[in-house]
Amino acid sequence: MRNRADLVIYWGGNPAECHPRHFTKYALMPKGKHLPRGRKDRTMVLVDIRETKSVKAADIFLQIRPGRDFEVLTILRAIVKGQYVNPAMVAETGLTIEQLRDLVDRMKRARFGVMFFGMGLSMTRGKHMNSSAILTLAAELNAYTKFVAMPMRGHGNVTGADVIMRWTTGYPFGISFDRGYPRFNPGEFSTVDLLVRGDTDAALILGADPGATMPQPAIDHLARIPTIVLDPKVTHTSRLARVHITTAVTGISAPGTGYRMDEVPLPLRPALKSPYPTDEEVVRRIHELVRVKPDWLVHQPRTTQQVF
Amino acid sequence: MLQLTLKQNPPVPLEAELISPDTLARMSLDEIRALPLQLGKHRRRLDEFFDISGAPGLELKLIGDLSRVKWLGRGMSQGRIEIVGNAGMHLGARMKGGEIEVHGNTGDWLGAEMSQGTIRVRGDAGGQVGAAYRGSVSGMKNGTIIIDGTAGLEIGMRMRRGLIVVGKRVKDFAGLQMKGGTILLRAGSEIRAGAWMVRGTIISLAPLPLLPTFATSCSHNPLFLRLLARQLADWDIALPALDDQGTYDCYSGDSSVPGKGELLIWRPRNGSTVQ
Repeated sequence: MRNRADLVIYWGGNPAECHPRHFTKYALMPKGKHLPRGRKDRTMVLVDIRETKSVKAADIFLQIRPGRDFEVLTILRAIVKGQYVNPAMVAETGLTIEQLRDLVDRMKRARFGVMFFGMGLSMTRGKHMNSSAILTLAAELNAYTKFVAMPMRGHGNVTGADVIMRWTTGYPFGISFDRGYPRFNPGEFSTVDLLVRGDTDAALILGADPGATMPQPAIDHLARIPTIVLDPKVTHTSRLARVHITTAVTGISAPGTGYRMDEVPLPLRPALKSPYPTDEEVVRRIHELVRVKPDWLVHQPRTTQQVF
Repeated sequence: MLQLTLKQNPPVPLEAELISPDTLARMSLDEIRALPLQLGKHRRRLDEFFDISGAPGLELKLIGDLSRVKWLGRGMSQGRIEIVGNAGMHLGARMKGGEIEVHGNTGDWLGAEMSQGTIRVRGDAGGQVGAAYRGSVSGMKNGTIIIDGTAGLEIGMRMRRGLIVVGKRVKDFAGLQMKGGTILLRAGSEIRAGAWMVRGTIISLAPLPLLPTFATSCSHNPLFLRLLARQLADWDIALPALDDQGTYDCYSGDSSVPGKGELLIWRPRNGSTVQ
């Protein structure tokens, strides 16, 4: 990317404020082998619903109406293949067909294109299908040139969770181990949906604060069931949890591995010492205690005398 | 007829894929009582949750609010299940024959990847009706799903053949990526119906917001609709198909795929009302 990406598209994100080093260190400014002039050799396109601070850094700003991302991406897919689109209905997305044709033209002419998409795309109406649309568009553009798409992640090391789940189970998230083997079904097994439906009778929260971000029914359910929180500080979730275990801050007072947004693992060396145990140690000690309990899958007595 | 009555609402979802006529018809009552059900990570006996009466056979009646009971009638190939109350996710998933009738609402993935048989829901259904599971190539391959109420997101996702009828307005992405079959929306849908469809037919009796990748092709009353109307008359569902009642505006798409699917939207002749 540093050496070759000459077309950079940000979709539904505000990197100038949310990922301040992304322009300078990663995608836009760096001088590379095939882009000796750095920023001057790249074209930056920003697609968003409102003018943010990132607009200043963009060569082209495409302002679309809220909730029309899927439509715009679907139109782009059609234009890439030279197919028909209804011009009157293109106008409803807030853009003109000429703007979109110009964008497709630039995409096809690029030597290496990158699309970064943020929560403005993946968390608005359509959700996973919006992400699916941008990923499919990137895949299809590879018929013409090299193109990749990458999500702009929010909190620290969410990429790490995805990566680890992927190589241990084959799936990135929304996994159930109820039957002793991983099953994947987002919507059925993803955390928000489980909590909103009230399908769990306990919760272990690690490095997240669902009490601050999830919808109210999910928060209510977390307050109802025994919830255990592992966090360096007292979060919104800790206040409604049965147990809060204070842990050391990974990267500052606990060692570990963090995954960068592009899935590059980085070793973290602690600068300070903490009186608190690390997340890993707490989970390991819980696991040791759970392990001495009888295995519920193999030695399952077929009786009615079991307690919940 | 075998009758199972739910004693208590399970605290976490109960997976009951063994409750299907294929399994139960060949068993004695004692064997049925001892059948394993999956409650969360634990395996439990069937009689912990259900009162059992009647004689085992191909007819099965389930009573109670089974909205937390998943996978009922999975892969059934014969017989009949009648549910008096709600049913949970994956009802009739991968079914190969037989009949399911629900006097209540159902969860997501109703009749997912089914290949034959009939499901009738008197209430509302969840999302992903007759859909393909994540990562799977195609959804329902044949059979009929009739829902009197509403349905959720992504109904008929990647379906290949078969018929889905929904009485009330469905949510987004009806017929997403569908590659065959017919979806009849008797009260229209929210946005993005027919997104990325390759083939197949979506019929709507109410105006529908179109994607920009659909093109107007013509206005007509296709002959096959008369056959479909005759088939639907068996379930007391009216489908207008005659010229004196109005016409269907036909749109083809989705050109982003590019696909040959068709969207038929009913335009009644002045004064004529249907439903």
